[in-house]
Amino acid sequence: MIQIIDSYDVIVVGGGHAGSEAALAAARMGCQTLLLTHSVETLGQMSCNPSIGGIGKGHLVKEVDALGGAMASVTDEAGIQFRILNASKGPAVRATRAQADRVLYRKHMRQRLENHPNLKVFQQAVDDLILEGDRVVGVLTQIGIRFNARTVILTAGTFLAGRVHVGLQNYQAGRAGDPPALTLAHRLRELQLPVGRLKTGTPPRIDGRSIDFSVMLEQAGDSPIPVFSFLGKKEQHPAQMPCWITHTHQGTHDIIRAGLDRSPLFTGVIEGVGPRYCPSIEDKITRFADKDSHQIFLEPEGLTVNEYYPNGISTSLPYDVQYALVRSIKGLENAHITRPGYAIEYDYFDPQGLKNSLETKALQGLFFAGQINGTTGYEEAAAQGLLAGINAALQVKEKEAWCPLRSEAYLGVLVDDLITRGVSEPYRMFTSRAEYRLSLREDNADLRLTERGYQLGVVGAERWQAFDIKRQSIEKEQQRLKSSWVNPRIVSQYEATQVLGQSIEREYPLEELLRRPMVSYEALMTLPTAGPGVSDPAVAEQVEIQAKYQGYISRQKMEIERSVQQETLRLPQNLDYSLLSGLSKEAQQKLAKHLPQTLGQAARISGITPATISVLMVYAKRGFSGQLKTA
Amino acid sequence: MSSTDIIAAIATAPGLGGIGVIRVSGRLITPIILSLCARALKPRVATLCHFQDHADTLIDQGIAIYFPAPHSYTGEEVLECQCHGGPVVLQQLLRRILMLGARSAEPGEFSLRAFLNNKMDLIQAEGVADLIAASSEEAARCANRSIQGEFSKVVHQIAQELVTLRALTEAMLDFPEEDIEPQTLENQKKQLFFIDSHLKQLIVGSGQGRLLREGAVIVLAGKPNAGKSSLLNRLAEEDIAIVTEIPGTTRDLIRQNINCEGVSLQFVDTAGLRDATDIVEAIGIERTWSALQTADLCVFIVDATLGLTPEDDAISAQFPNSLPVITVFNKMDCLLTQPQLQSHPSQVWISAKTGEGLPELKKTILSALGWQGVADGVFMARARHLEAMQVAQQHLMKASETQLQQEIFAEELRQAHENLMTITGQITPDDLLGEIFSRFCIGK
Repeated sequence: MIQIIDSYDVIVVGGGHAGSEAALAAARMGCQTLLLTHSVETLGQMSCNPSIGGIGKGHLVKEVDALGGAMASVTDEAGIQFRILNASKGPAVRATRAQADRVLYRKHMRQRLENHPNLKVFQQAVDDLILEGDRVVGVLTQIGIRFNARTVILTAGTFLAGRVHVGLQNYQAGRAGDPPALTLAHRLRELQLPVGRLKTGTPPRIDGRSIDFSVMLEQAGDSPIPVFSFLGKKEQHPAQMPCWITHTHQGTHDIIRAGLDRSPLFTGVIEGVGPRYCPSIEDKITRFADKDSHQIFLEPEGLTVNEYYPNGISTSLPYDVQYALVRSIKGLENAHITRPGYAIEYDYFDPQGLKNSLETKALQGLFFAGQINGTTGYEEAAAQGLLAGINAALQVKEKEAWCPLRSEAYLGVLVDDLITRGVSEPYRMFTSRAEYRLSLREDNADLRLTERGYQLGVVGAERWQAFDIKRQSIEKEQQRLKSSWVNPRIVSQYEATQVLGQSIEREYPLEELLRRPMVSYEALMTLPTAGPGVSDPAVAEQVEIQAKYQGYISRQKMEIERSVQQETLRLPQNLDYSLLSGLSKEAQQKLAKHLPQTLGQAARISGITPATISVLMVYAKRGFSGQLKTA
Repeated sequence: MSSTDIIAAIATAPGLGGIGVIRVSGRLITPIILSLCARALKPRVATLCHFQDHADTLIDQGIAIYFPAPHSYTGEEVLECQCHGGPVVLQQLLRRILMLGARSAEPGEFSLRAFLNNKMDLIQAEGVADLIAASSEEAARCANRSIQGEFSKVVHQIAQELVTLRALTEAMLDFPEEDIEPQTLENQKKQLFFIDSHLKQLIVGSGQGRLLREGAVIVLAGKPNAGKSSLLNRLAEEDIAIVTEIPGTTRDLIRQNINCEGVSLQFVDTAGLRDATDIVEAIGIERTWSALQTADLCVFIVDATLGLTPEDDAISAQFPNSLPVITVFNKMDCLLTQPQLQSHPSQVWISAKTGEGLPELKKTILSALGWQGVADGVFMARARHLEAMQVAQQHLMKASETQLQQEIFAEELRQAHENLMTITGQITPDDLLGEIFSRFCIGK
C-alpha cells in the first residue's frame, strides 16, 4: 500500500449522474470532496439514450435543480430538443423532456466538477473500502493509493461485476468500451451486503448519413422552447434538432423470432431481471405477440456526431440478427450500425439495507446512490446522488440526516419505495407512484424544496435570492387576487362572457373566478380593474395552478397531516422486535429484517397491519424500555 | 399528542340494552356537537338532547356529555351520547356522526389514545398492546366471517374493475409517448358507469345484510282502540300490552323484538293518535310522533268495521314523507261480510283477535323493508364496509363530474380505490404498474 496521500470529508466513487451530483452537493455544503473515477473522459457520460427528463423523471430533475443540483442547468446547455410532455393535461402530470448532445453534456458537467471549490477529481478505479470496525474510513485504489475519508459515497452504476451480452457471447465490462469493477464487487460481496443481479440494455446505434428521414415522421421540439432549470434561459440552448419516428413490422418480427434461439435472454444465459417498462424488442414481440408494429424514435446523439439512437429496439440478439432487423425497418434499409446493441448484467445491493439518508445500515459512513441501489435512469441516479451528497456532508458536520417525505418530493417517494419495498426490477419513477401527485409538480419543485435546501447549505445565495423574489411575488399576487373584487356594474356582459364564459350576477373576488376550470390568469387580467397582473410568467403560472388545484391540494394536505405523526415517530435501530409481545411472529420477523427508522416506514412494509402499528405506538410511548438490544 | 382524526364507536356491548353509549373522540369536535345536538354543551354536564339527523329530524332523545381536553377518557375532546339501547337507534346515531366527519374507530383505538395521552399509568398500559392485538384479531375474525364468500368475491371483482380503469387512466398520464391506443373519454365513461352501478348494487345488497344483522324498527300507529296493542300481543304471542275497551289505554311506548325469517324486527306499540285532553296521554301521543320520525316502517292500523275515516286520513297525512307505511285493516273477524280482498301492496286485512292475516302482514312488512329473503346478493357487510363503499361511491361520482381533467379523474379513482382497499386489502403502486405493463407494450 502506498502511504496516505490525502484525507477528505467525502469521497465519491464514480463520476456518472449520481456521482457528479453527490460530489457537487457535498462540495457546495463546504466539505472537502474527492471524486474518484476510472476515467475523467467519461464524467457525466450518458450510457443509454441521449435524453433527460420525461414524466416523473422530469419531476426529479426539477427537484434536483431546486436543491442546487447541476442536471437541469447542464441540460439547458446541452439540450438539442426540448418538449413539455402532457402539455394538454393538467400541470401535475406535465413534464419536461430534452434530447441532449452527449458531447456537450459531458463537457458542461466536467466543467462544473473541475471548477467547483472544495472539489477535486482524481482518475483511479477503486478496489477496496478501508474499514475500522463497522465504519468506513477510506478507500484503496487500483494501484494501491489509500485515501482517508470520513464518509464514502459509492455510485458504481453498472460497473460492479458488469457483464455485457451480445447474442450468446459475453464478456466482463462496465459498459461497452469500459472495464468493470471486479475487485470492488468481490470485496463488497465479502462484506456480506445483500447482493442481487439486474439487467438493462441498449439498442444498436446508427449512422445518420445512412438513414432515409424522408419516409419518417418528424418530431420537432416545442415552441416556445422550454428551459429545464429554474435559473435557466433559452439563450443557453445550443442549436436544436428534431427526432424522427418509424415503425417495425411483421417482417422485422419474423427476423427476431428466427434469432430467439441465440438470444441470451431466452436461452437463460442472462439471469438478471430486466425492467418491464423498457423491454428489449425481442421481449416485446414475445409478450405482445398480437401487436404487429412497434414505434421507434430516432434520437440524435449530438450536433457534432452522426450517430442516432433508435429508441425502442434495445436488444441483446446476435449481431447478424441486429443487422437484419434494423435493415428491415422503414427508412433504415441501408442503415450502417456504428455500435452493436447489448444487454448488461450487474450487481446491485438490496436497498432495504439502506437508511433514508442512503447510508448503509451495515457500515457507518458508507452511502450508496444510483444503479447500485437497483434503480435505472439518469434522473433517478442524480436525485439519489444529490441526497447522498447532502447526507454525507451532514454527517461530516455532525448534523442530523435529511430526506424529504413522500408528501414533499418525488425524491422522498423514490427513497421511501426503495428502502421499504426493495426492488424486483430496475426501479424507475412514474407519477403513479406518488400518492400526492397533485401536490408534487414540476412547477412548484422550488417552492417545495429550495428553502429547505438553503437551510441545509446546499442551495447557494444566487438561487436563494431569485427564489425568494419569486415566492414573495406569488404571495403578493395571491393576496391581491383575494382582496380585489370584480363588480358586475363595471364588467360588461360581453367582457364577462369572453373571459368567464358567462355573465356575473354578483361581486366576486378575482381569486374565486380564477378557480373556475376554463378561466385563465391572462384572460382574467383583461377584465376592467382586474389588471395589470404580474409580468413574470412563472409567477402567473404558479398563482393560476394553485388556485385551480386548491380544493384537491387542501384535501391532500389533510391526508398528509394525518400521516405526519407516523412519519416523524422514530423507531430505535437496536430494537429487539421478538420482545414486543403484542406482535405476531410474522410482523416481528418482517420488522426485524427491515429495521424501519420511522413508524411511517414500518407501515409501508408489505404485510404490516394497522394493528401492528398501534402496538408499536404503545411501545414507542413507553420508550421501548426493556426491548432494546444492548450492543 | 392530539389527532385531527375524529373517531367514533358504539361503546356498549352489542345487543339490546337499556341504554347504549356512543363515544366520539378527537380534536375540534364542536362542529359535530352543534349539528348533532343542535346546541352547545357545557363541559362535563349531562344534558338532555334531541339527537338530530341531517334533515333536523329526531333520531333519539338522550343524554350528551362533553369532556374538553385533556380531562377526558382519551385526553382529547370527547363526546358521549347515551341513548336508547337498541341496535337500530345506535346505528342510526353512529351513521349520523360518521357523516359529520368522524370515522369508525379501529379496535382498541380509544384505549390507545388514552394511553398515548398519559391517561393510563404504566400498569394499566401493560395490557393495552395485548388488548389491541386481541381485539384486532377478534375484529379480523369477524371481518373474515363477514367478507367470506360472495361478498368478498363481489368486492374484489369491483376493485379489479377499478384497477383496470385506473391502469388505463394512469397509462395515458405516465406514458404519453407510447403508442398506446388512446382511451376515448367515452370508453372511460362507460367503464366508470359499470363500476359505479356494480358498486351501487353491492351497497343495496349490503344494506340487506345490515337489515339481517341490525334489524328494523316498526311503529304501530293509528286511532285509539284500532287494535295496536292487540296486534303487538298477537305478534309476540304473549300479553305484553294491556288491552281494554277504553280508548287511550296505551300511554307510553312499548317495544317488543320479534324474529321474522331471521330478521330482528322491533315493534313499537304507541298511544292512539287523537286530540287528548289528559296530560299523560298527550305526552304519550307526542312520543308516538317522535317514534315515527326514526322508524324504518309504520304499520298504520285502521278499524275495518269503520273503514277509513276522516280522522284516519288526518293522521296519515301527518306521517313523515319518507316513511314507508303499510295500512292494516284490523278486526276483519267483526265484519258481517267478508271484505273484498284487493291485492294492494301496502294494504293488509287482519284480525288481531283470531290471528287471521298475520302471515300476510309479516310478509308485507319484510318486503316493504326491502327484504328479499336470504339469497344471492345479500351480503353480510359490516357497517364499516358499508361506510367504505359509500365513500368510494361518492368519489366515483366526483370522478364522473371531472372527467375532462384526467389527473383529477385519476385522483378521484385513487380515492375510491383506497376506500375499497380497506375491505380488500392494499395493492401497491407496483401492482398497478404491473397491470399497465401487462396490458400495454411500454418501451420507449
